[in-house]
Amino acid sequence: MIALTGLVVRRLGLLIALLAVVFVVVDLLPGNAARAVLGRDAGADRIAAKEHELGLDRPLPVRFWNWFSGAATGDFGTTARGQSVNELLAAKFPQTLLLASVAMLATVVISLLCGLWWSARPTGFTARVMQPSSAFVIAVPEFVVATLLVLVFSLWLDWLPAVTFTDRSGYPASPEMLILPVAALAIPQAGWNSRVVRGALIDAAAAPHVESAVLNGLPERTVLLRHVLPFALPTIATSFATSVGTLFGGALVVETIFNYPGMGAMVAGSVSDRDTALVAAVVAMTGTTIMCVLLLADAIRAWANRGRR
Amino acid sequence: MTTSTTSRRLWPTVLPAAAVVTVAIVGPALAPHAVDHAVGITFEKPNSAAWLGGDRLGQDVTSQLLRGGWGLLLLGAIIALLVTAFAAILGSIAALHPRTGAWIERTADLGMLLPPVLAILLFMLSWPESGAVGLVVVSVIAGTPYSARVFAAAATGVAASGFIEAAQARGERLSYLIFRELLPNLRETLLTQLGLRFVEAMYLVSTAAFLQLPTTLGDANWAVMVRENASGILLNPAAVLAPSVAIGLLAVSVNSAVAAFGRGRSSV
Repeated sequence: MIALTGLVVRRLGLLIALLAVVFVVVDLLPGNAARAVLGRDAGADRIAAKEHELGLDRPLPVRFWNWFSGAATGDFGTTARGQSVNELLAAKFPQTLLLASVAMLATVVISLLCGLWWSARPTGFTARVMQPSSAFVIAVPEFVVATLLVLVFSLWLDWLPAVTFTDRSGYPASPEMLILPVAALAIPQAGWNSRVVRGALIDAAAAPHVESAVLNGLPERTVLLRHVLPFALPTIATSFATSVGTLFGGALVVETIFNYPGMGAMVAGSVSDRDTALVAAVVAMTGTTIMCVLLLADAIRAWANRGRR
Repeated sequence: MTTSTTSRRLWPTVLPAAAVVTVAIVGPALAPHAVDHAVGITFEKPNSAAWLGGDRLGQDVTSQLLRGGWGLLLLGAIIALLVTAFAAILGSIAALHPRTGAWIERTADLGMLLPPVLAILLFMLSWPESGAVGLVVVSVIAGTPYSARVFAAAATGVAASGFIEAAQARGERLSYLIFRELLPNLRETLLTQLGLRFVEAMYLVSTAAFLQLPTTLGDANWAVMVRENASGILLNPAAVLAPSVAIGLLAVSVNSAVAAFGRGRSSV
């Protein structure tokens, strides 16, 4: 219990450190939101007025406290153009969360199945297919995977739509529009995690108690579920947790390609606007989500090791 | 396994990577048309004059493809070299001084909360003038802690061996311990990490280029070609497919070369 509290405190400390990093990057780097909004040829007085409006003329500790206390209570301020960051996020974050959750679910299911199958038959046909194909999907960026998917499933086979349309609720108009974006996100992650699952299972299967369980004549399924899987679970859970971050990063790209109405496409689109307040909020929210998932992985690890120490 | 069988297995996996790299480097000299030279209408179908057809501006895709690789490659190589060098030094220090190791561990944990692509976006939006240098800086900062952890794990075993303790007892300086005693024993980790870091750096650089960060990276690189020509994928799929395949081929062949190398060495 004490160990778990310590972990929670450490993870919270890391989150605060992340927010500090975000603030430092946004605030101390030479780029200036006021200048970016008004354009190059704005006069000094107009820039000063805009800076005052955005609060850029106040001392640094005051600004950090304002931003930090706002971020901690879920208020991310306004963009340089004066829109509320919270409203923008509220309009787009649920869609990204939907996309990322479905992709995560697909990743977990696919990589568990492939990893189990692969570790059970390490030299068979599956292994000979899995080895190079997982290397391919791990190494290739999401936008390449997405492009190939569009080419095959939309253009050549004409099975799935290549772009997403939204209905009035702001969500994709039909579920099949989710399939390709989810696949583009999940395939690289599934490739990586299948390898981790396989490795963790093979390591766990080499433990002495597994051998004794096999020698005692326990059925294969019992050995796998009760003696191998609990030992491999902490590694697998942590690997899945780290995939969440990569999923959010990949969503930036994949949403752009499929015109998916989420915050990734919005953030990628704000590149020309230099909307750092928006990106800072997205980084903070992503960091918090990842921290929660890591805590979940910690809890799974604690549960898998229960009574063992 | 003898050396000759190792090299016989190594060559088929290293060759494709070497071929793509060579094409990307000498490509600009081979390009049949100037980059801004229109060969036909927008998204012209592949023909005898333009083997891969035209792009959104009717420019020759083959020439763009030949020119668009070296920038990504160069940035990827620089990032991979810097990350591996920093990580090797930090990892060695961590193995010699566990307290430094704890800090690296914490920084790597922090990095897990901040996905590299988002970090690049945040940094480059705040400071767009930093350009390609900024991209290198963020990628190195984002990649080093994780790689340093690998080096620390590999170096801990070496650091515990007698010859290091003897050198420490002689009062050798830290730099001597790292460069003369530790790192020569970590050659495999060094080379494997260098390859893996290159794959990771290519991923980051091409994803950043796809998101148009930095804006100064050049318009004829493979990632930008994929993005810009996506609108014409129905008219001339080659304009999107060719750069995609180039990036994929490079990443996969380098990755499998690293894997083959690591396997070949570890079983010797």
